[in-house]
Amino acid sequence: MSETPKLVLFQCQWCLFAPADQEWVDTQLPENIHLAKVPCTGRINPLYLLNAVQGGADGVMVSGCLPEQCHFKTGNIAARRQLEEFSDYLNHIGYEQDRIRFLWLDLQDRGIIQKELAAFEAQITALGPAHNLATRAAEKVGGVNA
Amino acid sequence: MPDINALKAEAKRILSEGMVDIVIGFKAGDTPLHPQPAFFKTPDEVDQLVYNALCQNNLATYLTRFPKTQKIGMVVRGCESRSVNALVFEGQHPREGLYLIGVPCDGIIDWRKIVEQTGEEVFSVIEQSDNTVLVEAKSGFFTLEKETLLHESCARCIHPNPISADVVIGELLPEGDPALACEKVAAFAGLSMEERHAWFRQEAERCIRCYACREACPMCYCEECFVDHISPRWTESGTTPAGMQGWHIVRAFHQTGRCTSCGACERACPMDIKMTYLTEKLNEDMRRKYNFEVGLDATTAPPFSTVTLDDKSRFVI
Repeated sequence: MSETPKLVLFQCQWCLFAPADQEWVDTQLPENIHLAKVPCTGRINPLYLLNAVQGGADGVMVSGCLPEQCHFKTGNIAARRQLEEFSDYLNHIGYEQDRIRFLWLDLQDRGIIQKELAAFEAQITALGPAHNLATRAAEKVGGVNA
Repeated sequence: MPDINALKAEAKRILSEGMVDIVIGFKAGDTPLHPQPAFFKTPDEVDQLVYNALCQNNLATYLTRFPKTQKIGMVVRGCESRSVNALVFEGQHPREGLYLIGVPCDGIIDWRKIVEQTGEEVFSVIEQSDNTVLVEAKSGFFTLEKETLLHESCARCIHPNPISADVVIGELLPEGDPALACEKVAAFAGLSMEERHAWFRQEAERCIRCYACREACPMCYCEECFVDHISPRWTESGTTPAGMQGWHIVRAFHQTGRCTSCGACERACPMDIKMTYLTEKLNEDMRRKYNFEVGLDATTAPPFSTVTLDDKSRFVI
């Protein structure tokens, strides 16, 4: 694939404990990665993922805290159930499940997110652009009053 | 097939004794192929009660359309009783305010299959005791095998008997085979990604967005559906490919751990779109991963309402 894949990163605002990492995500994220910051992975409705997919995302990454370390106790394990099932379900109808990835970050982790994003991008580049599910009309990307 | 007179007598009894304010059942519809849901408020009205294999609606749908203070009697089959249990769990009606008249169900006949097999106007349909159906059509009588007429969901039914009904009228039937239910899901999952997607597109993109499936589903009771939201607009609202696919994807996903595989959505669809291959996959996953089946009682929380650290899944580290 010649062009760079379009990725969406759903990031739990508590999972990047190192200020340098958060700074990098906030300001230096590559242009092909769209950032959606959420208060907790438990806040991610599967509709958000569908919105990303229908907006033309080739891959979606969700980064959250380790299971026992959720800021809100159980948000991430609730999200894990739903999003895992949702990606499985999208796989059932033609959106490869490898395109949706859940990244668990430890409080001690430093510089992991950059590596993981690069690895994910390489994986999606190998898969090629997502072409199966229909995308919204271009001018309506963003989901407002489509 | 339960004795219709016993059914009527029970409905009359609970109405006249004041145990319920209303009984939800079926009455004869405009054509013999479509008995329609009916709401009986007095014992006299109950004479119109009809019950046969062509009663295709899931009556639990109407539960959420009455105030919670109303005492409701309802004729329930296996799938309906499970839907009622799920609705009771979700707090849509107190169980004390319900009186369930259970009828074991040996399958709902898909009226489209009768029309397909006879190919002409149908005047009457009579079920016979030897598992055949006598159909009176324009050019004469047809005797059809009931097996071949059953709706797909009913042919694979696991729980034909009403669960937690207050009274059961008719003889209990043997339980279905769960393996039969997963067969179809496994067959679909065995196809290649492109084939699965081609099937999904072919089905979803015939949609005319009438939302009959939503209205027919007992679990679709949201005050405002996600497709009716203006801001943010979750998915395109017209019959565009993205809109139609988005509707079908999310409608089914919202039923995860709630769908009883009654197939009312499919029977309600005017475009004859197949939808149960989506919900059954989700049901099958719930059964396999969390050992959960919908509506077996009114107290077990569905998997998405509970959390545990011990899940075994792709996302687990």
